[in-house]
Amino acid sequence: MADTDYVIETRALTRRYGDKLALDTLDLAIAAGHIHAIVGANGAGKSTLFRILLGFLPPSSGSARILGRDSQRLTPSDRGRIGFVNEEHTLPSWMRVSAVTAMQRHQYPRWNQAAFDEVIGHYHVLPQQKVGQLSRGERAGFNLALTLAQGPELLVLDEPTLGLDVVAKRAFLESLMYSSAAESCTVVYCSHQMEEIERVADNLIILERGRLAHMSAPDEFCGRVTHWIADMPFAGPPPASVPGLLEVQRIDGLHHYLVLDQDEGFAGFLRGAGARTVQSMPVSLDRAVNGFLAKNHAMPVAA
Amino acid sequence: MRDLVKAELLRFRGWALGAFAAHLLVLAFLARVVDLAQQPLLVYRVFGSIYVLAGVLLGLYQMGSYRRPNVWLNLLHRPLAPWRIATSLLGAGLAWLAVAAALPVLLAAAYQSGLTARVVDDRHWLLPLAAWLLAAGGYLAGACCMLGTRKRSAAALVLLVAVALNQASGVWALLVQALALAWLVAMLIVSFKPDLSAPPRAPLATVLLALPLQMAVYLMILLLQFGGQMLWIMQGSHPNNTETPPRGGANETERMSPKQRMLAGLAVSRAAQAPLWREQVALSDVAGIGLDLHAVPVRGALTNAAPTDFDDAGRGVRWTFSHDRMRLAGYRIVGGRAAGTLGVGAANAAFPAPTVAIGGLPGQPKGDRSLIAGNMLYHYVSDSARVLPRIRLPAGEWLLGVTPVGENLAVLSDRALYFFDGRDVVLGEALLAPRQRMPIPGAAGDLRDLDLIELVDGYLVSASFTSYAYMMDGAAPYQALSWVHDDGQVTTVARRALVFDYPAWFRYQAWWPSPALYALRQGALGLFAVPDPLQATHPAPMPRGIKLLAAGLMLVSLLAALWLVRRRALSMPARMGWVLACGAIGLPALASLWLLYPACELAGRRAEGQSALASAAPL
Repeated sequence: MADTDYVIETRALTRRYGDKLALDTLDLAIAAGHIHAIVGANGAGKSTLFRILLGFLPPSSGSARILGRDSQRLTPSDRGRIGFVNEEHTLPSWMRVSAVTAMQRHQYPRWNQAAFDEVIGHYHVLPQQKVGQLSRGERAGFNLALTLAQGPELLVLDEPTLGLDVVAKRAFLESLMYSSAAESCTVVYCSHQMEEIERVADNLIILERGRLAHMSAPDEFCGRVTHWIADMPFAGPPPASVPGLLEVQRIDGLHHYLVLDQDEGFAGFLRGAGARTVQSMPVSLDRAVNGFLAKNHAMPVAA
Repeated sequence: MRDLVKAELLRFRGWALGAFAAHLLVLAFLARVVDLAQQPLLVYRVFGSIYVLAGVLLGLYQMGSYRRPNVWLNLLHRPLAPWRIATSLLGAGLAWLAVAAALPVLLAAAYQSGLTARVVDDRHWLLPLAAWLLAAGGYLAGACCMLGTRKRSAAALVLLVAVALNQASGVWALLVQALALAWLVAMLIVSFKPDLSAPPRAPLATVLLALPLQMAVYLMILLLQFGGQMLWIMQGSHPNNTETPPRGGANETERMSPKQRMLAGLAVSRAAQAPLWREQVALSDVAGIGLDLHAVPVRGALTNAAPTDFDDAGRGVRWTFSHDRMRLAGYRIVGGRAAGTLGVGAANAAFPAPTVAIGGLPGQPKGDRSLIAGNMLYHYVSDSARVLPRIRLPAGEWLLGVTPVGENLAVLSDRALYFFDGRDVVLGEALLAPRQRMPIPGAAGDLRDLDLIELVDGYLVSASFTSYAYMMDGAAPYQALSWVHDDGQVTTVARRALVFDYPAWFRYQAWWPSPALYALRQGALGLFAVPDPLQATHPAPMPRGIKLLAAGLMLVSLLAALWLVRRRALSMPARMGWVLACGAIGLPALASLWLLYPACELAGRRAEGQSALASAAPL
């Protein structure tokens, strides 16, 4: 990196499609090293962010830098330092695995054959097979192997396991986690699969409606969200009065509250609202993120 | 880069080899039944259209398959400059087009040259290159259509239109195709970038994309006008399809019979003999003088504007004109064996120009033919298989047709009408001497009808100049009557001015939308072309109202551009350039500005545009 410790840095980055804002003055700085997970509901602006970062879409306003370079002015050598894997794993289906590998090897000056062999070893992919004959999981693994072998300083994975079955997902994640090549680069991982995030991510970035809603370690985020169960003989307090409320449900006569940034004082609030018993418990990352994202999610008026 | 070429070659291998085989099969079949090198223009046009269409489809498919956002990202996000990726893909496509389009043509030419006695000239060896250039042009245009925004990227097709309408022939036609190809390559390279929706910023890139777009808009305006004309025809008041044409107009004159036309001309004559001639016209057969050539053959032209061969059934020989040898080359109709070459006279001299065979002259033996070549008319004598010069017009004139008039011959050139004594045709083999020469009282391109009657002391000739009266290229329509005396003197006896059937705005509809693009269009169509004497006209002076209309539209464009550039992310020099361009070019430039820089660029990018584009150049 030239003059910054951030691999990705955006300032007031905005992108609009007509009247709709896909990115809304996004300020984001992703430090070098580690695996950073970006999550967000559909339409949160994740793919738009990646497209802008890779120079395939201009911002409406603001700036975006990647590996210290203005994203709209990436040079071919900059691109050689950034690996990108998307959910389609678009590879030339008419070519043989060996030919695609040879092509990539010639194009990327920092080609790391050991990294390729290490990752492709997780899959039963034969060099003479045509890409079109590979299963979706094999294609994903082959794509990951190709990208890691490029020796990228930054690896961007945009929902790489979308559409893969459980076995293929696990194989993909293990290939990534145990790859020595992945260890030496910064990974930005975008996914809707929280169990994957939980396994791989060191840093959790939550985008909501084109804005940065949260950034911390996943455990830290889980610590902010608590699940309270209260036995209330009557209707609970009005939702608007519940501090930090993310989600409320009534199951079998018990009120379940998912709240953000509430300490033991929340138990007093519930008791004050008429709760006979109060119990709190930690939540999984999946539950925490889903509750967090669902908070402002548009829904029908009757819901 | 080489890997990408190989990958793309591999991708289309099956299709290309299949197309090669199918193409070769078609040519092989046709070569068995006809002489592919001597086909009429229509056949070459059909083949050319197929090559272009195949190219367009390949371009659309290839770039279309990469156009999806994720695939595009995967293609361009690699340590290679976009232009290198583009040239790799194009290189593979162009190579396969050479195999599928050009190679079969080359093999067909080789077959005809090596295994038959048919004529294969140097010009025919250029046909594979022409096929490849056409297919490649279509391919690049199709590829361009898939890059950029849909509203503007189809403009690349306008270069194919320019190639199709260009008048150049032979090597010059190939040069025009190559120039169009180079422009398309440049368009594609500047369009081939990660952000396909981004408008061009560099001056050269802007010109490369904007000019075809402006031409496409101009073409759309012409098509709209054509559509309006169709509605006019459907409505039934169009001068061409009203039951009664406009009185005193060009259309009325064209619909008249030769006799009516001549009487109409005489009606305005102040000549003392006019009443007598009117009676004579009423009693005589009025002869119409026709053309045997409708396009002048050009040596080395890739296609044949007129038939190049004729059969001598008596001798069982087919004679084909060879552009290389400038002589006729013969082969047996049955068996196909070579039958030698035939030049002019005993010396077997070369013809001065490509020949076109027409029927024999009155009195000549059946089977004899006349050959037109430049300013000469030759007599092909079947009996002795000789070619004799019979008529020589002044150098520089094109002999266009021979019409028997009574016992005499009327010979039309692009400048004059000649009369010869028909009896001399059969009395000897010498060159015929013209008895009278009447200069055509107008331009050959304007001449629509030429009628005459034989008088006791000469001829009365009516010439109507109405060919292009419906458009700005044509002369103000008129009819001229001339009296050609027996002694060769020519007297104009009447000149009847005809009225325009169409209003001025209609006649100048190609000009007033954009005088600059009209001039560019004319320049592009005539680029490297030999002027066609049959198209020479004397255009009527342009009405002042039309000039004012064009100037008004240019002013409107300029003012609209002033308003529009303030709402687009453009640097100051670029704004000035666009305003000036809109003022000079008119509405098509304004439309191109609107299409190239869409409104969605407006919202938040104004401020950014100021800084980011500070270095951008005027256009």
